[in-house]
Amino acid sequence: MTEFPFESEERRALRSAVAALGKRYGSAYMQGKGRAGEDSNELWLEAGKLGYLGVSLPEQYGGGGGGIADLVIVQEELGAAGCPLLLLVVTPAICGSIIARFGTQAQKQRFLPGFADGTERMAFGITEPDAGSNSHAITTTARRDGADWILKGRKVFISGVDNCATTMIVSRTEDARTGKLKPALFIVPREAPGFEYRAIPMELISPDRQFELYLDDVRLPADALVGDEDAGIAQVFAGLNPERIMVAALANGIARHALDKAVAYARERTVFRGPIGSHQGIAHPLAQAKIEVELARLMTQKAALLNDAGDDLGAGEAANMAKYAAAEAVTHAVDQAVQTLGGNGLTQEYGLAALINFARVTRVAPVSREMILNFVAQHTLGLPKSY
Amino acid sequence: MKIVVLVKQVPDTAADKRLDPDTLAVDRGAVDGLINEMDEFAVEEALQLVEKHGGEVTVVSMGPDDATDAYKKALQMGADKAVFLSDPALAGSDALATSEALAKVLGTLEYDLVILGSEASDARTSLVPALLAERLGLPQLTFASKVEVDGSAIRVNRLTDYGHDVVEAALPAVVSVVEKINEPRYPSFKGIMAAKKKPVEALDLAGLGLDAGSVGWAGSRSKVLDATVAPPRAKGTIVTDEGNGGSELVGFLASKKFV
Repeated sequence: MTEFPFESEERRALRSAVAALGKRYGSAYMQGKGRAGEDSNELWLEAGKLGYLGVSLPEQYGGGGGGIADLVIVQEELGAAGCPLLLLVVTPAICGSIIARFGTQAQKQRFLPGFADGTERMAFGITEPDAGSNSHAITTTARRDGADWILKGRKVFISGVDNCATTMIVSRTEDARTGKLKPALFIVPREAPGFEYRAIPMELISPDRQFELYLDDVRLPADALVGDEDAGIAQVFAGLNPERIMVAALANGIARHALDKAVAYARERTVFRGPIGSHQGIAHPLAQAKIEVELARLMTQKAALLNDAGDDLGAGEAANMAKYAAAEAVTHAVDQAVQTLGGNGLTQEYGLAALINFARVTRVAPVSREMILNFVAQHTLGLPKSY
Repeated sequence: MKIVVLVKQVPDTAADKRLDPDTLAVDRGAVDGLINEMDEFAVEEALQLVEKHGGEVTVVSMGPDDATDAYKKALQMGADKAVFLSDPALAGSDALATSEALAKVLGTLEYDLVILGSEASDARTSLVPALLAERLGLPQLTFASKVEVDGSAIRVNRLTDYGHDVVEAALPAVVSVVEKINEPRYPSFKGIMAAKKKPVEALDLAGLGLDAGSVGWAGSRSKVLDATVAPPRAKGTIVTDEGNGGSELVGFLASKKFV
């Protein structure tokens, strides 16, 4: 059988190795940890030790020297095994990509080896209560005080802050020349005075919780600024393409997991005559969901390859489309899987009901489907801007 | 120490297998091939021994020319190099012919220890370890659940129906392992990337100096005469517990000689 070019021999080997690791943990592990309010660091650390978390990071800093395309495989296979790692989107994909491309030498040495082997986790704070998806309306500001920076502002829906030693905060500084505000990124230790985080009660079964952040005049040393003060906007964009691609990979993995469970059930479960999977009422919706997931995977792979080739603009469009397609596909696939299992689809035992809200998140975050449609309408189709 | 691990590529045990109607051999083209599961334990044991005592691991595999996944997996796990014997004339080799070809390959290598899985999940004869040891004139330590090397001596726990025997021999020796022995590692990303740069020696029968008539269909002494599809599994017995469920279950187990 001829393999699709994306699936090089090494990627196929990575896929099967990660799948084997994921199988040992599985959805019962992940959902059990989520229900108990515990972390999934055991899986995180084992994956880190095997180099799976660091596949996209530079080799000279302990990474695997591959790209986001390889990290996509890690996330998709863990997702397909029922145990996706949400912070893969954040620490290696967003923060790792930004620091590898724009960080100072000292920041690369300080953070990347730990990102690669799993011993260092970093959260990413961009969304604000009054800004939402509008990153131009971010109000968290940084002002200079001697050599230090003073950060003030609020963030909301920030993943995994309690489990991360630091959070990368998107803020704005005043341009010395024009007086206009421009983005600047800072690395804030969890224990910094004035940095508070509160868990937001969510109807989500996940070891990774969501937080609201309060930065009340948090004093940071000069080297907390990521890279160069003037590169803020490029830094944000260097992180957002990998973020979208990795959320798409997470969605694709969960979709495969749900479909696998549904198909296995439909083959075995017999009511009246023959397995229920022989009825088109069950079979066709599953086939349709399968097609949607495969199309989403294809676009995710395209976006990852463009990202790794350094085509940020092309990757931006593909990443948005991949995230859109994957979110729609997983929402549909999980819904159809639950429908296939009937009452069993809603039990804890079968592990599908917990995925309903989890899958649904990918339609909302990190950017809503409506904002993606706006983006495609305006940038791809050249239609007038609506907002 | 120098260790040779023998690995076999087998059809995925999870897949539906079918027999080629002409040869009555497994139709390998119809299912994905992968490393025989028990061989992963052999690779792991070799890697652990080398991590402890130093040395190198050479993986040897024999099969059709596209059956490369098994030795590649071993290289990804950490084996240093591979030897791959492939020749159309090897097709159909039974355990006896296989052991002849493998013994010939081992004759070209330096080693202190040969490790392999106790059986392959396709043919399941468990014959090759013993046949190979005999051909090489080496001690055989089969069904090992624990291996210790001390200088030029090797000691294994040999799994039996009633527990285990402790068996000792002088190196070089042939050891076959069971699943209980360890937990095979997952290939790391670095291992996966490094594997493609590792040396692989490709051999065929001519290169090996082995007569085609002594292996394959021609050289095999056993022959599959007939094969039938296994009947579908009969319906299980459902015990309705009317106060006697426990004794019914024990009665069933006793009838199967489990208790």
